Amino acid sequence: MTGHSVIMRLAGWALFVALLLGWELLCRTSGLSALVLPAPSVIGQSLWTGLWTGYFWPHLLHTGSVLVLGLAIGSAAGFLGGIVMGESAVLRRLLFPYVVTSQVVPKLALAPLFIVWFGFGMTSTVVITALICFFPLMENTLTSLQQVDPRKQELFRMLGATRLQTLLRLKIPSGLPVIMAGFRVAVVLALVGAVVGEFIGGSKGLGALIIASQGMMDTPLMFAVLLLITVLGLLVYQFAIGLERLLLWPHLKNSEKE
Amino acid sequence: MTFLDMRGVNYSYPGYLNVVDQVDWEIARGEVHSLVGRSGCGKTTLLKLAAGLVRPDTGAISVDGQALLRPGSQLGFVFQSPTLLEWKRVLDNVLLPITLQRRPVPADRARAEELLALMGLSDFSERFPTELSGGQQSRVAIARALLLAPSLLLLDEPFASLDAITREELQDDLLKICRLAQTTVFFVTHDISEAVYLADRVAVMAQGRITHEVPVDLPRPRARELRYAAPFNALCARVRHAMDGAGP
Repeated sequence: MTGHSVIMRLAGWALFVALLLGWELLCRTSGLSALVLPAPSVIGQSLWTGLWTGYFWPHLLHTGSVLVLGLAIGSAAGFLGGIVMGESAVLRRLLFPYVVTSQVVPKLALAPLFIVWFGFGMTSTVVITALICFFPLMENTLTSLQQVDPRKQELFRMLGATRLQTLLRLKIPSGLPVIMAGFRVAVVLALVGAVVGEFIGGSKGLGALIIASQGMMDTPLMFAVLLLITVLGLLVYQFAIGLERLLLWPHLKNSEKE
Repeated sequence: MTFLDMRGVNYSYPGYLNVVDQVDWEIARGEVHSLVGRSGCGKTTLLKLAAGLVRPDTGAISVDGQALLRPGSQLGFVFQSPTLLEWKRVLDNVLLPITLQRRPVPADRARAEELLALMGLSDFSERFPTELSGGQQSRVAIARALLLAPSLLLLDEPFASLDAITREELQDDLLKICRLAQTTVFFVTHDISEAVYLADRVAVMAQGRITHEVPVDLPRPRARELRYAAPFNALCARVRHAMDGAGP
């Protein structure tokens, strides 16, 4: 079993190296311009220079801050919104049409409007990112609160639990797997929101850097930035998985054994 | 001395008339009564009425001389399924009735441990419910219902999904524990032999009414051999006839 997994891992790395070598070879032999498809070695050099000279760091920090701020604000608002609408049937009926409508509107299409409202810079991108994160969290929270086992709710009534106790001790814990699934979706969308927001409204950040590299016709730089964005995305996603493991370990107890 | 007293109780769901229809029933303190009937005859609703989970449309229900307005700590309720919280350890599940009221003190933990020991689950208090078998989960649910030492225990087909041998063990454990604490028990089931084995009196319910009442004059404490003796089987046959007579 373990021997098999070692072989699989080796095979994975071998495939990766082969792909890189093939790419390098293609670029060197075909005479393809570096403007169209730069070789991995050229991209690596560009990445190294950017990191070494400190050129990338402020941009990385900027996108990272937008991502974290937007994710935190959007998720918190979505979570609270989901709870409010899950708990109050009146508010749910009143607000749901608006929620559905605003969910259908492509949030990125609102970016120019936000630039008018909040100006070029961090605020607009944070608002876009937050708005994008809001919906998966709200929808999953709302769904999870409505899926609570009615017998468990009856049990809590039987035990004289208050409404707040039922929410905090029953509904949210039992809905946590669904809520965390929403958070994972939000994390991935947040990166899209941050980068594309910077395309449109930023002079700083990795998204702005991609636009700048396009302007400078520096394709290796563009690839290097794409690589950074990917790494950033993987990091945040791993963070979400870690948080999920931390919060859900009693829930996961059963599946681990199987 | 009547402990649970239901008089002229009626209850209808929207669209379903007379789910419980003019029911009178009394249980004396410390007695065990069973309620049998076909699925959908209103057994569970009657039990929920006795628990105060729903209020009767007309009629009166009192527990220990007090009118029953809402569920309270004098009542223990065991549901059809164990309804344990999967994210809490077994001990915390048993302690739930207390943690919803106040912070548990060491004496509460000791009481919970003692109940788990009575149920034969001492080694499982730090496990999670999903790691337990169905029978063990039912035992945890019973321990939870007994935590506040209720004077009235209401059970809604708690052993329906268990195998026959586990079910018999749990019936014996339940009788033992309720005898120790002088608990009054109202036990809903569709299993005739279970109803007779547990009860001092069996109520047969059909279409919202209690149609027959069968006193069970078997000696206590009850033991396994009883199940194979003639008087027991005669009583089961009587309950069965009563159910047939009440059928549509």
